[in-house]
Amino acid sequence: MTARAWFPALLVMALVVALAFLTLPVAAIFLNAPPSRLVESLGDESARDALLLSLRTVAISMAIIVGVGTPAAYLLATRRFPGRTLAITLVELPLVLPPAVAGIALLAALGPSGILGGAIEDAGIRLALETAGVVVALTFVASPFYVRQAQAAFETLDRTWLDASRTLGASEARTFLRVAVPAAVPGLAAGGALALGRALGEFGATLIFAGSFRGVTQTVPLAIYDRFSTDFDGALALSGLLVILSAAILLSVKALGGAAR
Amino acid sequence: MLRVEARAELGGLILEVELEAAAGECLALAGPSGAGKTTVLRIAAGLLRPARGRVACGGRVWLDTERGVSVPPEERRCGYVFQEYALFPHLSVWRNVAYPLRGSERRERARELLERFGIARLADARPGSLSGGERQRVAVARALARRPDALLLDEPLSALDSRTRAAAARELGSVIREAEVPALLVTHDFGEAAQLGDRVGVIDRGRVVQLGLAGELAASPASAFVADFAGAVVLTGVARPGPDGLTLVDLDGGGQVTSVDGGRGEVAVSVYPWEIALEPPDAAHPGSAQNHLPAEVASLTEVGNRVRLGLAAGQPLVAEVTPAAVRALDLAPGQRVIASWKAAATRVVAR
Amino acid sequence: MAGIALVTGCGGADPSRPRLLVSAASSLTEALTACSDSFGAADVRLSFAGSDELAAQIRQGAKPDVFASANTRLPKALRKEGRLSRPVEFATNELVLAVPAGEGKVRSVGDLSRQGVTLAVGSPSVPIGSYTREVLSGLPGGQGAAILSHVRSNEPEVKGIVGKLTQRAVDAGFVYRSDVEAARDELDGIELPARLRPTVVYGAGVVKGARQPGVARGYVAGLRHGVCARRLLDSGFGRPPSS
Repeated sequence: MTARAWFPALLVMALVVALAFLTLPVAAIFLNAPPSRLVESLGDESARDALLLSLRTVAISMAIIVGVGTPAAYLLATRRFPGRTLAITLVELPLVLPPAVAGIALLAALGPSGILGGAIEDAGIRLALETAGVVVALTFVASPFYVRQAQAAFETLDRTWLDASRTLGASEARTFLRVAVPAAVPGLAAGGALALGRALGEFGATLIFAGSFRGVTQTVPLAIYDRFSTDFDGALALSGLLVILSAAILLSVKALGGAAR
Repeated sequence: MLRVEARAELGGLILEVELEAAAGECLALAGPSGAGKTTVLRIAAGLLRPARGRVACGGRVWLDTERGVSVPPEERRCGYVFQEYALFPHLSVWRNVAYPLRGSERRERARELLERFGIARLADARPGSLSGGERQRVAVARALARRPDALLLDEPLSALDSRTRAAAARELGSVIREAEVPALLVTHDFGEAAQLGDRVGVIDRGRVVQLGLAGELAASPASAFVADFAGAVVLTGVARPGPDGLTLVDLDGGGQVTSVDGGRGEVAVSVYPWEIALEPPDAAHPGSAQNHLPAEVASLTEVGNRVRLGLAAGQPLVAEVTPAAVRALDLAPGQRVIASWKAAATRVVAR
Repeated sequence: MAGIALVTGCGGADPSRPRLLVSAASSLTEALTACSDSFGAADVRLSFAGSDELAAQIRQGAKPDVFASANTRLPKALRKEGRLSRPVEFATNELVLAVPAGEGKVRSVGDLSRQGVTLAVGSPSVPIGSYTREVLSGLPGGQGAAILSHVRSNEPEVKGIVGKLTQRAVDAGFVYRSDVEAARDELDGIELPARLRPTVVYGAGVVKGARQPGVARGYVAGLRHGVCARRLLDSGFGRPPSS
């Protein structure tokens, strides 16, 4: 090998090693047990419960995240106001919190003995050990992923588009809906994919804040954990399902972002 | 009538202007980058609120800081053409143009405008696939779509390559005239301002240092800055074909020049002051310069290491020579001279 | 808030059957999962974890309807704190030394102090862990400490120990007899010498502030006398002391 060719070869080797390391465990999920056994364990009622619960809670969380996060990200991206940097840091905080810490934090704030616990209970809302608590946990850990991406997407918008829209008779709200959001869709979709993946796989905060009640708060990741000591094949089956689900969602969101271009 | 008075402080620059453009008049504001030109437009459009100011258009008050009146941009009827056109990338051309319109006739009206600008065939294209000149036309069409009360143009020609620029300038000039509303145009190019503006103002570091006809500014600059900024001499006249494929232009106010450029009918000719040589009135005209105009020295301004002379002929002229030349010819106000320059240095531009 | 209301509204619950939340010790997993479907008075939702973790949740204010623990100490403590009704003893269990099936490395408690043996036990606060330490402290000389030094994992619940054993990550572990039964042929259970065997009694109670206290009491009673009681016996648990 010539003196110059070793560097590209090194790059290729690094990629090969990285790919092998990353794909092997995922492939092992499907290769470790016979497919019939995997499909069989999916027929289990608790598996179906977990799957439906995951889908429901993730869907609601994403709706909240996108509904509240998009305007919030727009404000952060397009206006300078006192405390803006602080606001950005606070929004990003859950990103660096380990999930278990997030769970403890949610308990401390919204749990039955938490700061707002009393007020929440008086309002007749129960979060701990309830499905609503799962939604709260998922929203808490996944929203920074979306808001950050959305903010970045809005920041790369050409401001003159927004100005032009105003001079053409569109109010700020109209400008947001008809120019900013459509033009930012690829970035918003990317943020949505990240948040969705995070929410689907969320474990630690959910376990601590909402507990692991089958059919009520035991999402697929929690079900996998529950099973792995006693029914490894069952855990594999659910894991495989989650991998396929996540991949499907990721691909469709990417396609959506690409089509909007 | 559009009137803009404003005082604002922006990052170290203090902007203080008072401008007025009558209906159908185009006021061109020319100045170097950072002088505050775009800021003036943004204040007029309502995109920026000055510390103190008043903006009124056609009897409606859009801004009055003293009385706390501030109409948001969407309620001011301005047609704003942005420097890079700001076309919405996710909408087709006709949807861009129809964006400010409401109701069932918007598609029709958009098509009408596209036809007027000769780009009807691009109706369904996306802005990303258009050339610079095409995008400029879409931007102008869009700004005019809802028949605005005033036109604001930010460097409307600077994003175009020089080939497209001449034709675009002609078009833009007639569009502005047709619209019959006050127009405020900003540019860093004095020639563009002279070409498109009925009146030209030179803005430097937030202040309008001189305002008047283009020729006046060129011939009688209020300061060395204006003199330097107003680079070219612009003369108006009528063109007709001449011998050797050259064009003869009979200048308004007397005199005739030759140009290598083509042109017919009412035109303007431009020449750079440093291409004008001065000779004593009784000189024999040696050399290849074909254009000679008798003139009288009106003013002398030192600009750096050269001297700018305002000359009075049928129309004002400006020549730039070295101090040595000034001494050799003993130039002073009132002195008669002959201004000479080459036909090749004479550009014919649209009026 | 709207989203949360939506979710609390539809929990998939049958309105005619109330929902009962049961927090139970990890070792009760197989038995209670199997028998709770036959509890006609309510739609039973189960959560299994180390008893100490479940107790901590209740102390935090969480309000499942029933708490079933692998000891009586935790329910009594919660009762003292006013968080639980008077606990009922509903089953017993036997602590055994388990090894992966067919492994000959460890055959007795004494083998645990041999060089190179790895062990999984429960963490000190979980019942299985405290029972184990009771056993080890009853051993002569420094044997107990020597064995503890071979511990490779302190699991938060007994099923975690089972997992480590079935994956052959450790050579041996202390679990309950019922766990060996539940693992079918994957584990071999080794009886402890009679003098070392701890008393393992399970206690259950109704959580104060539970949504369905009446139904909860019925469930707890069923652990002693109903379908679940029979199921527990079938799964390797023993009868409660007072019956």
